[in-house]
Amino acid sequence: MYTSFRPLVWAALALGLVSTNAPADAADATFVLAANQNGTPVLDPIRASLVNLADKLIYDCLVQQAEDQSFHPHLATSWTVTPDGMEWTFELKPGVTFHDGEPFDAETIRWWVPKFAGTENAYLVEAIDRVEVVGPLTVRFVMKHPDANLLYNLSSGFMGIPAPKAYDAAGAEYGTKVAVGTGPYRLERFATGVETVLKRNPAYKWASALSKNAGPAPIDTLTLREIGDPSTAFLEMRTGGVDLVVDVPPATVPRYQTLANAKMQTMPGFGIFYMPINTTVEPFTDVAVRRAVALSIDRREIVDNLYAGKGKAATTFLLASLPEAKVDPKLELVHDPKTAASLLDGAGWKPGPDGIRVKDGKPLVVTLWTQSDTEFKRMTEVIQAQLKSVGIRAEISVFDTSAIRAEYKKGKQQLAVRSYGWNNADILDWFFSGERIGYPNISMWKDDKAEALRLKALKGSRTLDERIANFRAYHEYVLEQVPFAPIYEPVQTIAYNADRLTLPATIRGPQFSAPTVLDITVK
Amino acid sequence: MTLSGLFRSTTAPRSKRRIGPTIAGLILVGFAVAALLCPWVAPWPYDQQALALAYRAPSPAHWFGTDEFGRDVFSRVLYGARTSLTVALVSISTSCLLGMVIGALCGYVGGRFDRWTMAAIDLTWCFPEILLALLLVAILGPGSTSTVLAIAIAYLAQFTRLTRSQIRALKRETFVEASLSFGAGPAHILLCRLLPNAIAPVIVVAMLTTGDAILLEATLGFFGMGAQPPTPSWGGMMSSGSELLFDAPWVILWPGAAIAVSVVSINVFGDGVLDALDVKKRERVH
Repeated sequence: MYTSFRPLVWAALALGLVSTNAPADAADATFVLAANQNGTPVLDPIRASLVNLADKLIYDCLVQQAEDQSFHPHLATSWTVTPDGMEWTFELKPGVTFHDGEPFDAETIRWWVPKFAGTENAYLVEAIDRVEVVGPLTVRFVMKHPDANLLYNLSSGFMGIPAPKAYDAAGAEYGTKVAVGTGPYRLERFATGVETVLKRNPAYKWASALSKNAGPAPIDTLTLREIGDPSTAFLEMRTGGVDLVVDVPPATVPRYQTLANAKMQTMPGFGIFYMPINTTVEPFTDVAVRRAVALSIDRREIVDNLYAGKGKAATTFLLASLPEAKVDPKLELVHDPKTAASLLDGAGWKPGPDGIRVKDGKPLVVTLWTQSDTEFKRMTEVIQAQLKSVGIRAEISVFDTSAIRAEYKKGKQQLAVRSYGWNNADILDWFFSGERIGYPNISMWKDDKAEALRLKALKGSRTLDERIANFRAYHEYVLEQVPFAPIYEPVQTIAYNADRLTLPATIRGPQFSAPTVLDITVK
Repeated sequence: MTLSGLFRSTTAPRSKRRIGPTIAGLILVGFAVAALLCPWVAPWPYDQQALALAYRAPSPAHWFGTDEFGRDVFSRVLYGARTSLTVALVSISTSCLLGMVIGALCGYVGGRFDRWTMAAIDLTWCFPEILLALLLVAILGPGSTSTVLAIAIAYLAQFTRLTRSQIRALKRETFVEASLSFGAGPAHILLCRLLPNAIAPVIVVAMLTTGDAILLEATLGFFGMGAQPPTPSWGGMMSSGSELLFDAPWVILWPGAAIAVSVVSINVFGDGVLDALDVKKRERVH
């Protein structure tokens, strides 16, 4: 009896091994979302405060932004703008349909733009007065005031276009159970904080020119998992549970390098680590002390040692690839401990017996806030040591990531280590506007000249060139007044299982998104 | 079998039964001496960064290796002993003293004062110690002082209850009635008659709770709510080391071993003290 079953047992075991090692379907793939995209509660770009890769695969935009920050046609094949910037006319791509079979046309746009009213994202269309349907595939935006940032807004993930009928029919449930767009994937299943399962849209043939593949995506079922812990994501990759990890933290990169089947690809960063300086509290009411702090930071040491040389030393507030970041080199905030020391001497802060500077018998002790994520804590401890080397004792306070925003609003911080992810110069307005003191203007900086420059850049720019010039002037003034210290511009690293996937040589777009996914093939 | 059972057998001669607590006591003395003398014993300053030397494995230059900032892990474990043991000892001493005062008053005075005070104290028993400590540190803000206060409050009910029950049992004893008949006042009865007889079990519990306090301090440190960087604490070191499990396991290993050895030693030593202070075998202090 025993011997007669033995071959059967071996066969079953062998079958089990085969079935666990081989993918269920060669055209399926599982990706791990970037940690900063985890937790979106709704796949509705109009109402969402956070959009993730799933949104970008379900919905298409009128315009697509490339990795060099240039704009390219997508659902809009072309556009024109009047010299005064008050009218934008868009020609729409013919033959585009939503996942539910409804056509995409000028009426869709007329329905879509007013939907933003009253939402958190209303600022995206704030400059549009009304939408006029010129023809079935021609639409005109009549503006309240010129908005040179319109193309950027239209390329944002928040401006993916949902299907009008499905949107109105689902009401409040839209984005949780139903999500219908024109994108290369349709929604199969969505569980907040866990995973999103997408199914290929077989009718898709209107990809932007950023993708080589204009047709349906090669991956049939795409599962996007939300794994917050980098070690867990790595173990999943090692054991074959996932095929691609979108954003590998720099500290974890060496682990992936030990995997024979893992390949990595980097793309330009999408944000900056920086240190806001509270300009309303002593000793930082003195611009010389603020500058000394900014010059004390050895960015190269941080890049080389914390990030294994990957990424850039940030010397301005903006991504280096943005034209507004090309400021007068004299204004860039670089490591210069000698000047920092002489600035502190000039401000009356003289070295004390223990190396910490003293003024009127008071030591130069400041608070340095950070959040509980490992990356922030590490960077903050390095900065603490660097500040100590010029005679500033920084006392670190670590706050839970979810609670630190409420603490900033109290305005008791002096220095803090933060980061942002945004590839547009209007981030200057967000963090340094005198109208947003407390949060997000953690520097608590209000300056008449800065306000005038900010408003000119935001609302007085009729063309893109004008906007660049105005924001550059505003940026340069911010750098002069030093309400912050730039630290680091990271790169984004993608790790993938090369036995399963083939990635295009270049990651298209400012982030890992639909143009790249469309060109990924499964072996 | 208890941990102390590994070190002693109830059938062994009394001298042999004391070997475990003696070894544990010596280990604790070693930790205390290291904590006191760390500025002279530690080969490197605990906060001296050398980023180029990060993640170095144990070597003659760095006995316990280096951490992610190139800091010497051995020096940080020594300084961490100072933080962790100080926080645990100060918090348990505070909790014990406060608990004895409140418990003695409640037990002796009784009545409405006892009911209301104990009801308030018992509220802290509604929560597990770790939850209560996390809540308190979240309110007070992170740091060593907050940790001390949080641990002290978390264990307050334990000492209060124990002292109260001891005092309530002892105050009916004949030696107390004899003192009263000689005209002794309540303060004299409480301080000279009752507390000396109630103190032995409280000391044993305090000893055993110190081990728990070290673990609680380490837990708070692990969550980033204990001593703030660059001050080392064993829990904080384990927290940063947990991220380096694959790349530099020694960063988490040594503080983890220090916590384990100190907690086991305290428990074994506490058991020894329990034996030595066995109240049933002791004569009353009259």
